[in-house]
Amino acid sequence: MIATRRIFSVLVLLLVSTSWSLFGEPKTSRKADDKSSSGVSNDSYRGLSGEELWSNNCMRCHNIRPPTMYNDVQWDVIVHHMRLRANITGQEQRAIVEFLKSTK
Amino acid sequence: MKIRRYYLPAIIQAALLTIASPPARAQETATDGYVTRKEYEELKAQLLAMKKELDALKQERAVAPKRENSERQALSTTTSKQAKPEGRAVADAHKQVVPEVPLPLVQSEGLFGTTKFLLAGWADGMFEARNGQVSTFSASFDPIFLWELTPKILFDSRLEIDLSGSGTNVNLVNAQISYLLNDYIALGAGEFFSPSNVFVERFEPQWINKLPDRPLAIYHGILPNISVGAQARGGFPVGSTRVDYAFYVSNGPVLNTFDARRAGTLDFNSYTDNNDNKAVGGRVGFLPISGVEVGYGFETSKPGFQGTTFSRVQALVQSVDLEVTRDSYLLKGRINLLAQYAWSHVDHAVYDPDGSLGFGPLAFTSMQDGGYAELAYRPTKLNNDFLRNLEMILRWDHLSRDPSGLGDPEETRWTLGLNYWLSPSMVLKAAYEWDQPNSEPNRNALLIQTAIGF
Repeated sequence: MIATRRIFSVLVLLLVSTSWSLFGEPKTSRKADDKSSSGVSNDSYRGLSGEELWSNNCMRCHNIRPPTMYNDVQWDVIVHHMRLRANITGQEQRAIVEFLKSTK
Repeated sequence: MKIRRYYLPAIIQAALLTIASPPARAQETATDGYVTRKEYEELKAQLLAMKKELDALKQERAVAPKRENSERQALSTTTSKQAKPEGRAVADAHKQVVPEVPLPLVQSEGLFGTTKFLLAGWADGMFEARNGQVSTFSASFDPIFLWELTPKILFDSRLEIDLSGSGTNVNLVNAQISYLLNDYIALGAGEFFSPSNVFVERFEPQWINKLPDRPLAIYHGILPNISVGAQARGGFPVGSTRVDYAFYVSNGPVLNTFDARRAGTLDFNSYTDNNDNKAVGGRVGFLPISGVEVGYGFETSKPGFQGTTFSRVQALVQSVDLEVTRDSYLLKGRINLLAQYAWSHVDHAVYDPDGSLGFGPLAFTSMQDGGYAELAYRPTKLNNDFLRNLEMILRWDHLSRDPSGLGDPEETRWTLGLNYWLSPSMVLKAAYEWDQPNSEPNRNALLIQTAIGF
């Protein structure tokens, strides 16, 4: 049992460290991407825009759905629900909702 | 239209004043071309009255767009927000100047209600061919009902509807009322997904779970899935990092004592309590950088039946988890790594002490453990649409749940999966699972599933 745990721990640490250091996204290209999509929202929370908060928080668990998939009222309810599920803060919730509404 | 209605009398009044002024002057004043002091005062008073009326009209015009806007947003703002003091102040000022104009809708929107309702959820269909079992199709539908009564209050509930034999099973999976206390704390009560088990909270829906089946240890009695009780949860920033938390009090599990194979294990599916002790649990997550979260969950309880020799037996279940999401330019795609490991400990106890159940006395400290690690890769940065929608998954999962030595053996599985995403929330999954329980024939399986989230 102990051996299994050790193997598990080593495997996980190995996967994380290699994937993080080797396969990370270059900062320059990320900035370029941000620039290309900067027309949607300028809200900032901890230096992150509503779009970045949306992308970072949602993609941790599932594919992100396009803002046009739901109307404004539906997004209000969905992000409220997701705030509880993902433990995001109130500021993040508002910034994400504002971004989603601003893209339509 | 209203504005025009008030401008018209003002203009007519001004015109009448202009016409009426010469005769008035002729009656009372000299004909030297100058106005008397009295005439001057009268004209000044009339001018002030007109100015006041004009100001009132301007104010009315300023309020009108706000009112129209609030009508349009009747479904997206709350009664409390609409009845805020500023709104009342504007309404009162408006009432004083033009009493006959109806009050703005900001005061009466509550009549129309502001509840927002959304039906979400998912559905799936699956084919499973497992060694030693008859192959079968199955289907399930999991609607999620979301009611946002105000921006601070949400009720959410999920049903699980699936086929069983010749009938249909309908289970209430969760039903919870939540209240957002402030930006960092939310309170909830009811039946909820156990925060100590992060997979159940976040990855259970079949359009999110990347493989057709669910990992071992998460659903096999080591960790709770559903809790009935109350919880407080939220998240807050710590510098450039973030911490999230969830703590709860619930009825807790029931200790199995009557069956030799299950003695010492915890039954988390008994939703009514068997004693006055309540389980306490929670999870704390830490997000050091974007796309990475590590978490620790726990639940401590006294699971024995009240009034029995097991009533003082203490149980502790714990879990560590890791979630990593990373876009890689080198691999031209996205990598997801999920891992969770759980273990449980139940105090030393003597099961079937008098031998009346046929397997005792059996004394032991019950310990179980298990977990999974899953790595997924999707080439999201390729130009080819078909390849971009493919996703490959590899999962290892393990379960050791044999505390008494009389029950189920250990089990280890490897699963390789290939998904095709038809849309962000619709997927076709195919997987092959190498399932090798110790000392038993293999249960290798071919799994095919389609799932849609809505």
